[in-house]
Amino acid sequence: METLSDEMIMQKVSEGNLDLLKVLFDRHHRHVYNFLYKMSGDKMLAEDLTQDVFYKLIKYRNSYNNGAFLSWMFTIARNSLKTYYTRNHKSHDDIEVLAYKAVEEENDVSDNNAHLQYALSQLDPFDRELVILNRYKEIKYDELAEIMGSTPGAVKTRVCRILKKLKNIYLESI
Amino acid sequence: MEKQHVFDQIPDYLDGNLNRSDKASFEKHIAQCADCQKELEGTKQLFNAFDKEVSIPTDRLRSKFEAVLQQEKSNQGNVVQLNSRPSSNWTGNALKIAASIALLVAAFQMGSLFQQRKANKDIAQLQYETDRMKQTAMLSLMENQSASKRIQGVNYIEEFEQPDEAIIQALSNRLLYDENDNVRMTAFEALAKFTSSEMVKNTFVQALEQEKNPSIQVSIIQALVQIQEKKAAEPMKKLLEKEDTQPFIKEQIKAVLPSLT
Repeated sequence: METLSDEMIMQKVSEGNLDLLKVLFDRHHRHVYNFLYKMSGDKMLAEDLTQDVFYKLIKYRNSYNNGAFLSWMFTIARNSLKTYYTRNHKSHDDIEVLAYKAVEEENDVSDNNAHLQYALSQLDPFDRELVILNRYKEIKYDELAEIMGSTPGAVKTRVCRILKKLKNIYLESI
Repeated sequence: MEKQHVFDQIPDYLDGNLNRSDKASFEKHIAQCADCQKELEGTKQLFNAFDKEVSIPTDRLRSKFEAVLQQEKSNQGNVVQLNSRPSSNWTGNALKIAASIALLVAAFQMGSLFQQRKANKDIAQLQYETDRMKQTAMLSLMENQSASKRIQGVNYIEEFEQPDEAIIQALSNRLLYDENDNVRMTAFEALAKFTSSEMVKNTFVQALEQEKNPSIQVSIIQALVQIQEKKAAEPMKKLLEKEDTQPFIKEQIKAVLPSLT
């Protein structure tokens, strides 16, 4: 079971073998959670939205079309996040980040974490998303391009530029 | 020798995505270029931060997920039942199809039956009408001036299986009153087939009294003897007494008379 690809497992899930969803959950829930956490800077929200993503995987398992599983899952995650923000207004974004920073300092989490989160919050949402996704090594440029609706070459160039920018912000903040 | 900076390759280098020759030239350049070294260090630091900073969700997430999955599985139980439904629907559909085919066949049979009945009725009607026409033709032919036409009319009797009284009456009239011997002979032959009728018997007895033509007389005598008509005895005796009766007729009568009395 451990050796099966995500796509094969998801295929079986869509055929009705729901127990296999646990395997997918084990493999990916941290990635999804971290993506959402870094995007929003809110642990509780990230947890709720992760929950939502896996709920949608269950609910829409029949619409899985044998494409790249990671692309599909992160597309769902992005949409969940987008839906959340449109529902709670854009202006909310900044407030979330500010609130998060306050909480982080209280909780005495490692410095690295806070700095990175700060640097990420300085990027615009699209760039932030791209770079966060890129940092998960399972996601290749091809899949990233698929998620973003772009070409691999363009995505790669863009990621390089953002990484450089992010690095500068990050190093300055230390 | 100033080389191009290799900033663009730094992420790929750190991720181990460079092929061997690119990697070799990258490392060669890094060794010489302070800017790129600095850049590489910074990026490495950033990547380390990314790698280290993996926040772990609480157990709440897993337990919630498993609860949802469990619920979905129990719903799936229903789904399985729903899945079994179409199969019963399938048999239901098969039954429906069979029933519709049966209906179709039954309707077709009924239709053809009714059609046949109607056709039979029509045929009977037509038969009746042709019979009527033949009868009319026969009766009118028998009144014709020409003897041959009258014979033709009398011969029409073969067209009827059950001639009615009007026809028998008309034939009797021919036998009794026609002036032509041949017509009377034909009429006799026609009537001879219906000797079971009382009317025909009476006609024969009457004709025997009146008939002058010996050959018809002989035929009538034979017919009457064959049906054992007692009433024929009287006219036969009269014929014996008559002087103008042919001698061979008398002999004939003498021969058959005992069997009647």
